[in-house]
Amino acid sequence: MSKIIIIEDTEKIREELKIFLIRYGYEVVALTNFENILHDTLKEEPNLILLDINLPVTDGYYICREIRKKSAVPIIVVTSRDNEMDELMSMNLGADDFITKPYNTQILLARIENILRRVHGITNQDTIAYNNLKLNLLNGSVTYNDQKAELTKNEIKILSCLIKNKGKIVSRDDLMDFMWNADVFVDDNNLSVNVTRLRKKLEGLGMKDNVETRRGLGYILP
Amino acid sequence: MTIKEYLKDRTLFLLTNFILFIITCGIMLITNMTGNIILLIFCIWFFPVLTYIMLEFFKQKIFYNELISIMDSLDQKYLLSEIMKEPENIAGKLLYDILQQTNKDMHEHVKSYRDRENEYREYIETWVHEIKTPIASTRLIIENNPNAITRNIQDEMTKIEAYIEQVLYYSRSNHVSKDYLIKEVSLADLVRRVIKRNSRDFISKGITVDMEAVKGIAYSDAKWLEFIVNQLIGNVIKYTRERDGKVTIHTIRNENNIVLTIEDNGIGIIDKDINRVFEKGFTGENGRKFGGSTGIGLYLCKKLAEQLGLGLTLTSKVGEGTKVRIIFPLGSVNLMN
Repeated sequence: MSKIIIIEDTEKIREELKIFLIRYGYEVVALTNFENILHDTLKEEPNLILLDINLPVTDGYYICREIRKKSAVPIIVVTSRDNEMDELMSMNLGADDFITKPYNTQILLARIENILRRVHGITNQDTIAYNNLKLNLLNGSVTYNDQKAELTKNEIKILSCLIKNKGKIVSRDDLMDFMWNADVFVDDNNLSVNVTRLRKKLEGLGMKDNVETRRGLGYILP
Repeated sequence: MTIKEYLKDRTLFLLTNFILFIITCGIMLITNMTGNIILLIFCIWFFPVLTYIMLEFFKQKIFYNELISIMDSLDQKYLLSEIMKEPENIAGKLLYDILQQTNKDMHEHVKSYRDRENEYREYIETWVHEIKTPIASTRLIIENNPNAITRNIQDEMTKIEAYIEQVLYYSRSNHVSKDYLIKEVSLADLVRRVIKRNSRDFISKGITVDMEAVKGIAYSDAKWLEFIVNQLIGNVIKYTRERDGKVTIHTIRNENNIVLTIEDNGIGIIDKDINRVFEKGFTGENGRKFGGSTGIGLYLCKKLAEQLGLGLTLTSKVGEGTKVRIIFPLGSVNLMN
């Protein structure tokens, strides 16, 4: 499990971000004491650091530079300043990525995933599972009891969204929003067609508890 | 300055002389002096007076002509007192001093306004950055408690963010040179980012997007450009027709420019409004019908585009839709590729 350290002085953001990242399967440490921040951070041996710029005691740029002297741990700078100059400065000090507040949480997740995969070759979400069904996000294949099938990009997105929300109804709008955020600009009709195709492929694998339609509400993997 | 004007200015002096001469003339006539002597006295009296007046006229004419020609060649007229030679005569000197004083005073006045404006701008920028923190935490709270209510709040938050962004760019719009960074911008990536930002609106209004034909690289400031495109897309969403809405975005590469066209099939803009859409505060027919228009969006886009050296044009037909084009000039850097 990847360990993420949050260095952020706004309590609300710190706490909510922690809940959010834990929900997505990360181990999270949120530092609250800013006096010994360098020491505390390195002691935790994190896989990734989320670093705010405006901090008490010393600012994020300083911390970034000091961490770089001792460790190659990936750092994502998170700030409300959106100047190109701030971005440039962060990168020059050794940050791996730069995200401006308020961020889209899915984009934040995607960036974290990317960096973890690049730096450590690990990630929480290369394969996701639903009962006996396994979806491999890297090669787009789905396996069910040793049976294998290939999915299209749209089908992968739909299935992964439904698996992440298993047991909950996902409205068509939410499903489309998820896909749009992953660069697939499907329209209403397209979505229906894709869901039907996905359902047929899963049926072909012999999967019984397939995607269900709840009229007027959306889709659900029971 | 003509001779007539000059003489008119000297009327009192000349009149006094004539009256005095007439009185002297009367006395001389009473004392039986001959006409020749009176004529001689007239000449002795008036020759130096007229000569003096003529010389003075030419001197002053040269002085003022020079001053006027300097002033005409000046871009900022208020700099005159810095440029002009200090005059020798007493009237000129006095005038020169007065000009310098008023100038100094004016500069101080302008400076106080400039300071005030800068202060205000800096305050706005700080404020924008500060408000982003509570927005970020609100977004996270919404994300951690997903339900129908928080989703509605989320949609409203997106609007709040857009307005806040507008404030920031408005306050920056006069000072582009301060914080922009020119680099390669992939137009496809940029358009995709903007569409993703507005995905909720597109989906809930059922607007379809076709952006397959967007390609090419522009050299510009990504942030400013994204703001402009986001405003334009925001308009598309606002003025689209119910259902069957469609936006097509494509690029065309010409010999010396790349044109990014955003085309919708919305309600369009009536002819009498079309030339005024880039004016500040202009909302027009659509603004009245739809409400919520501030007349700032397009005005800002035009202003920022001009500062970035981009062209921005708009054509529209009522009931058929609107086309907005952003024109990126191609410099030698682009042409090498």
